[in-house]
Amino acid sequence: MSDSPPISIPPAAEEELVKRLRARDESAMTLFYDRYSAALYGVIFRIVKAEDEAQDVLQEALVKIWHAFASYDSSKGRLFTWVINICRNLAIDKIRSKQHRVGSRTTGLDDSLTAQRQSAPTTFRPEHIGLQEITKQLVPEQRQIIDLLYFEGFTQSEVAEELNIPLGTVKTRARTAIKLLSKLIR
Amino acid sequence: MPHIQDYIESGVLELYALGELSPAEQAEVEAQAARHPEVRRELQEVQAALGLYAEAHAMVPPAGMRERVLGHFAAHAHAAYDTDSASVAVPPATSSLRAEVDEMTRPQPAAGSPVVRPMSTAPVAEEPTRRSLWAIAASVALLLSLIGNALLYSRWQEANTNLLALQGDQTRWAATQASYQQQQGELRAIREQNQILRSDEFRAVALAGTPAAPTAKARVLYNPATRKVYVDVKNLPALPAGKQYQLWALDKGKPVDAGMLAATTVAGDSLQQMKDIASAQAFAMTVEPEGGSVNPTLSTMTVIGNI
Repeated sequence: MSDSPPISIPPAAEEELVKRLRARDESAMTLFYDRYSAALYGVIFRIVKAEDEAQDVLQEALVKIWHAFASYDSSKGRLFTWVINICRNLAIDKIRSKQHRVGSRTTGLDDSLTAQRQSAPTTFRPEHIGLQEITKQLVPEQRQIIDLLYFEGFTQSEVAEELNIPLGTVKTRARTAIKLLSKLIR
Repeated sequence: MPHIQDYIESGVLELYALGELSPAEQAEVEAQAARHPEVRRELQEVQAALGLYAEAHAMVPPAGMRERVLGHFAAHAHAAYDTDSASVAVPPATSSLRAEVDEMTRPQPAAGSPVVRPMSTAPVAEEPTRRSLWAIAASVALLLSLIGNALLYSRWQEANTNLLALQGDQTRWAATQASYQQQQGELRAIREQNQILRSDEFRAVALAGTPAAPTAKARVLYNPATRKVYVDVKNLPALPAGKQYQLWALDKGKPVDAGMLAATTVAGDSLQQMKDIASAQAFAMTVEPEGGSVNPTLSTMTVIGNI
């Protein structure tokens, strides 16, 4: 694509990494960690909300990425997309397996979301400040819906229930929000 | 193609990227993306936008996690991995891996076994059989070689891990040794100080702050028999640049230089031995230019005390 978005992990570096991982170069995982851990840890931590559990998931994710690497198909998308989905799935499995959600769900959505937002800035990496500014341009309902789907591991129907809106609205709101994001990064 | 536009507008690509679809629905999206470039483009945009959203929330993992996570990886990189549990979380990706593995492990028709083959694909009956025999032989050889390699590799890894552990031990030991020696040195200094403090021959002279520095407080330990003088600071005002505290012994009203206080002494870190003093009735401290003065600058007197 000619209009590639300004992503802090450049696709060229990614290609190099994919090549090494394909060649089963174990030392590539160190590079992988250095390049992706902050992005992956941020997502994992927001889902599991505890440091040691986030570490477990990250640990598990690295081993999984290594062993399942043959199934990564670069024609279907970037490595980053693939690995972040692995991490999200493992993190969501973790909170589901622990029945973690039953408790945290009822603590009140707004509390948990605002708490996260307030605690986040100290750990933001400077190079992401631009990105942060961009995501701030989403209106609160849009952020909320993406956060629920992406960081809280809610299904669409759970979101509909939680926010008390029709299922169709979940879909359109998610689409509008993501559309706006991709417009902003262009 | 208006229906493709409808498909894109439906929001299904967003749900795909968010991992909200069933495996069947995922497969459908992937098929559409493979068929229609506009779907593919849209999907890439959606994924890029979500990737950016993730990156905007990046958090640097706590210190120490890097070693733990990479250590865990090194320990598990060679372990057999349960791909069944792996496929639960990433269904679309591993399902194709699955297919490839199935393909590879599908049993080959053995020689002489009844095989139903369309006429056109079996012009000479013997040739494919021989080929499959060769294939089996080659597969067996390859398998044996792979097993051999795996064994050698795991042994090598084990040796490597042991070596790393030993190197770690060695580094730790060296560090312990260094800190032990440092502690020994500190202990010796503390013992000496303790001896001075406990000795009956030493007289403790409390030096109190003058009106210029009311909170200043120090102590001189003086042994008239051996003439030894030590100073012990409790609290002294910070010095301006280029200045130093100087200790004076007052003998029959006459000031005698007893030496300069080191910065660590001023900070109250330890006792400092000063110049030997033959006779004194009082001690005092003044602020003097670095290196000291011949006569005390009385206006800067900070503490004073009589024996």
